[in-house]
Amino acid sequence: MSKKRKISISEEELVLALRQREKIAVEALYDMYSASLLGVIVRIVNDEAIAEDILQDTFVKIWNSFSSYSTEKGRLFTWMVNIARNLAIDKIRSKDFKNQTKNQELENNVTFIDEQRNTVYKPELLGVKDLVEQLKPEQKSILDLVYFKGYTHVEAADELGVPLGTIKTRLRMAITQLRKYFN
Amino acid sequence: MEDIKAYIESGILELYVLGDVTPEECAQVEAMAQKHPAIKAELDEIERSLQLYAEENAIEPSENLRGRVLNSLVVNLGDDRTFGPGRTAAEEEDDDIIPISRARSNTFFKYAFAACLALLIISIVALISVYNKLQDSNNLVASLQSQNQRFASQANLMDKELTVFRDPSFKMLKLQGTSKSPSSMLMVAWSPAKKKVMIDMVHGNMPANDKDHQYQLWALVGNKPVDLGVFDADSTSKGMKQMKSIASADAFAVTLEPRGGSASPTMDQMMVIGKF
Repeated sequence: MSKKRKISISEEELVLALRQREKIAVEALYDMYSASLLGVIVRIVNDEAIAEDILQDTFVKIWNSFSSYSTEKGRLFTWMVNIARNLAIDKIRSKDFKNQTKNQELENNVTFIDEQRNTVYKPELLGVKDLVEQLKPEQKSILDLVYFKGYTHVEAADELGVPLGTIKTRLRMAITQLRKYFN
Repeated sequence: MEDIKAYIESGILELYVLGDVTPEECAQVEAMAQKHPAIKAELDEIERSLQLYAEENAIEPSENLRGRVLNSLVVNLGDDRTFGPGRTAAEEEDDDIIPISRARSNTFFKYAFAACLALLIISIVALISVYNKLQDSNNLVASLQSQNQRFASQANLMDKELTVFRDPSFKMLKLQGTSKSPSSMLMVAWSPAKKKVMIDMVHGNMPANDKDHQYQLWALVGNKPVDLGVFDADSTSKGMKQMKSIASADAFAVTLEPRGGSASPTMDQMMVIGKF
């Protein structure tokens, strides 16, 4: 199998190139972010084929609405991953998606997501072992519910049966742990 | 300053980064971030860690998705360029080559390879046939050599026999058959000077002996018999045979003795005798 040469440039260069609608920017964008975005989407929709469709929609939306992105709002990836998450969440809440799954009779979205949760917490889908050890279980579960499963923090509080304030604190602690780990 | 810290601690920034805020909250966070660099820095840290977390959990899309996605984007570029699933190093190298010449060189190598293969097969066949011929030649040489050796040894033997007749010191004596075997006859060549005794198996006429008996040649020196060795006579006997040496003799005689010879001659078995 031939090793692909992926294009990778700095975020500033990429944003500039995307603004100028350069073709190379499209390839770079895909090569740099497709896997990370797909990781998030797959965990939300729990189906690789559907996730790849959503990834395609995500890139189309990024490309078409790129003028609405500004560096002052934050990092490029944050903007893109929120587009991807919204598209994925829209998908799992659509009638069309529910009809495709065997759990179609379940009307409650939260319950529906919960049904799928067991399969998502596969060990091979978890990150690096060290990273997992950095997070307390309650931190990890709230982070993954919100980041990878598309829960709002209100839904997560409901799901886990803990007060909203606790959810916010745990989420903040989880992300603080991540920051420590990545630093 | 205290309220900025409290604002950061509230967890609203995390929810903002995760897109889990109301439009009002969103506007509020953005306004705060613009006013306070500490909040801006905090936001950036949260974004960075979540991006890295996503990278840790990345899933590589399938090969063909790249072309699919890029082609769907390219419609907007008004460009007919198509994207494949990644560019390999080989493809990059090929960029400068005109397709026609590449095809030609491809077929050239194909034919060259076929020609090489054909040449190899022909060479192998030729080599095998040459090897077989060489093997035949070797066998012929070997048989000729052994024949040559046989001729040489025969010539050598005959040469030796001839010296007997050429040498003046040799005396020829014809041993005549006795009453027991009147038709028998044996030629003996003797050189007293060289003490050599030879018997001629070709020109003799001795009846063939059986397995249990052998002829024994005796020399009579002053009426005393001296053993000169045993020999066999049959239809295949030929050439001359050298017997034991003796310097002086008055007569030679042959008796038929048990195989291996006897210490003294059995007189009634005397076949031929000759005197000087």
